Amino acid sequence: MTEIYRTISTGRGDDVSPTKCRERRRRRIEMRRQAAVFGEPSSSRNRDRTDMEVYSSFDVPLRKQARRSEIGGLPADIGGFLAPPAASSCQKSEAPVWKGEETEDEPLYGIVSVMGRSRKMEDSVTVKPNLCKPEVNRQRPVHFFAVYDGHGGSQVSTLCSTTMHTFVKEELEQNLEEEEEGSENDVVERKWRGVMKRSFKRMDEMATSTCVCGTSVPLCNCDPREAAISGSTAVTAVLTHDHIIVANTGDSRAVLCRNGMAIPLSNDHKPDRPDERARIEAAGGRVLVVDGARVEGILATSRAIGDRYLKPMVAWEPEVTFMRRESGDECLVLASDGLWDVLSSQLACDIARFCLREETPSSLDLNRMAQEDDNDGEQNPSRSVLAATLLTRLALGRQSSDNISVVVIDLKNSSQ
Amino acid sequence: MESSKQKRCRSSVVETIEAPLPLVWSILRSFDKPQAYQRFVKSCTMRSGGGGGKGGEGKGSVRDVTLVSGFPADFSTERLEELDDESHVMVVSIIGGNHRLVNYKSKTKVVASPEDMAKKTVVVESYVVDVPEGTSEEDTIFFVDNIIRYNLTSLAKLTKKMMK
Repeated sequence: MTEIYRTISTGRGDDVSPTKCRERRRRRIEMRRQAAVFGEPSSSRNRDRTDMEVYSSFDVPLRKQARRSEIGGLPADIGGFLAPPAASSCQKSEAPVWKGEETEDEPLYGIVSVMGRSRKMEDSVTVKPNLCKPEVNRQRPVHFFAVYDGHGGSQVSTLCSTTMHTFVKEELEQNLEEEEEGSENDVVERKWRGVMKRSFKRMDEMATSTCVCGTSVPLCNCDPREAAISGSTAVTAVLTHDHIIVANTGDSRAVLCRNGMAIPLSNDHKPDRPDERARIEAAGGRVLVVDGARVEGILATSRAIGDRYLKPMVAWEPEVTFMRRESGDECLVLASDGLWDVLSSQLACDIARFCLREETPSSLDLNRMAQEDDNDGEQNPSRSVLAATLLTRLALGRQSSDNISVVVIDLKNSSQ
Repeated sequence: MESSKQKRCRSSVVETIEAPLPLVWSILRSFDKPQAYQRFVKSCTMRSGGGGGKGGEGKGSVRDVTLVSGFPADFSTERLEELDDESHVMVVSIIGGNHRLVNYKSKTKVVASPEDMAKKTVVVESYVVDVPEGTSEEDTIFFVDNIIRYNLTSLAKLTKKMMK
């Protein structure tokens, strides 16, 4: 009996203890459901290849990964790549299902948010389909998407993740008596810009007046151990039937894929952007090159929510883009700089639209993996999830060293 | 004598703190707890303690400092060169890390303020460091002065709170 026990408990070789098997299976299931991806440093290491070469060779690591999963021999350090619980993938069926006129179709989207090679997770993602039905949108639903990339800790990005959309909702539901001059479209645009700007301002005020312990600063008794840099970028997109409204503070990014072309809906706030440098210096700050251009030699983004000690050089104010939707719109990609540092907007656009095409072969391993585990009768995972997964995996393969968060919204099948 | 080709620069930062010297010094001298007042430090672990002092705080002690994310470096390794509790002088060298402050050495001196010797303290931190390649001397001084000023401002707030 003792001998048998010792054999079972040894960690060497092929450990087939029931506990370990259950743990491995649970982990496999969890990862499939979250559509998290793992780093494959050995893949796409050769950066001299053309983008398409890297792209076309991308199936191989997926297959290898699938095989390893089937064997059940997942690496022990897998936890570091798990997405946080809050980040989930939409498993909605790709084909639009007709449910009658009253059905409120939600947009099809995929989310992947991973720690990557960073030391900790400071990104947050929020998706709120059918956030509300405001007057400015003729009482039809609006959908909210956001990516937040924190620095100096995760408290500000977490705060944004839980609160920004409630501010947007509140601002939309207020019936402010603003001037009605100009064409109807001008009025709508002005209202949306006002909503987003006021929401960001309220978010920044909340972030700068909240201590890391969660208490309002005047009431707090903490030691002032708060990091001198404690803030977050914020790229948000509101989707309506007619428009896409993007508000961005910082160096995360939103890109629209229209007829195969990547159209930027945000412009990265970097300290060496000429107008940002001018604004920083006018505010009494300096841009120094210390491992890249940094505000005061410290912060790599020139705008952020929070960062009380670096204001007013590091501003909260978002740049807002108001874009009318067109039939050629294919998808919208929101992501943190962990993706954009290693992938161009055009390449991300190419990969996303490839995944979203109906003709995409269903033999992709990821589909099969997800299908095996799917118990609720769904035929395939959302193609948007696949797109977000591939983008994340490619970024990891290209040695991104930061957290990576990606949201892909399928605009072809999102008439709402 | 072979002279170093790397350009060096030096500077000093002075801060007057509304707190008695013993309190200010007790925080500054804690080589193993820089995160108490240094704003960009997330945590610190002692690598080795020197033989001369209590609790691993003696001359020759080495600490590994982890810096907050978003800062242009992740970690720094620092050695305590001198610690004099009578003249209130501390000398620290940076001996490693993934930053660009090479051959950095700082001397911190604490004196009671002539204005009010019982309630005010003057902290002077002077340093020398190589000017990183591709950067100007002016920018290097600006950057390091900035960090030190942040830290001393934080120290002032900490001591003020401790006196309540």
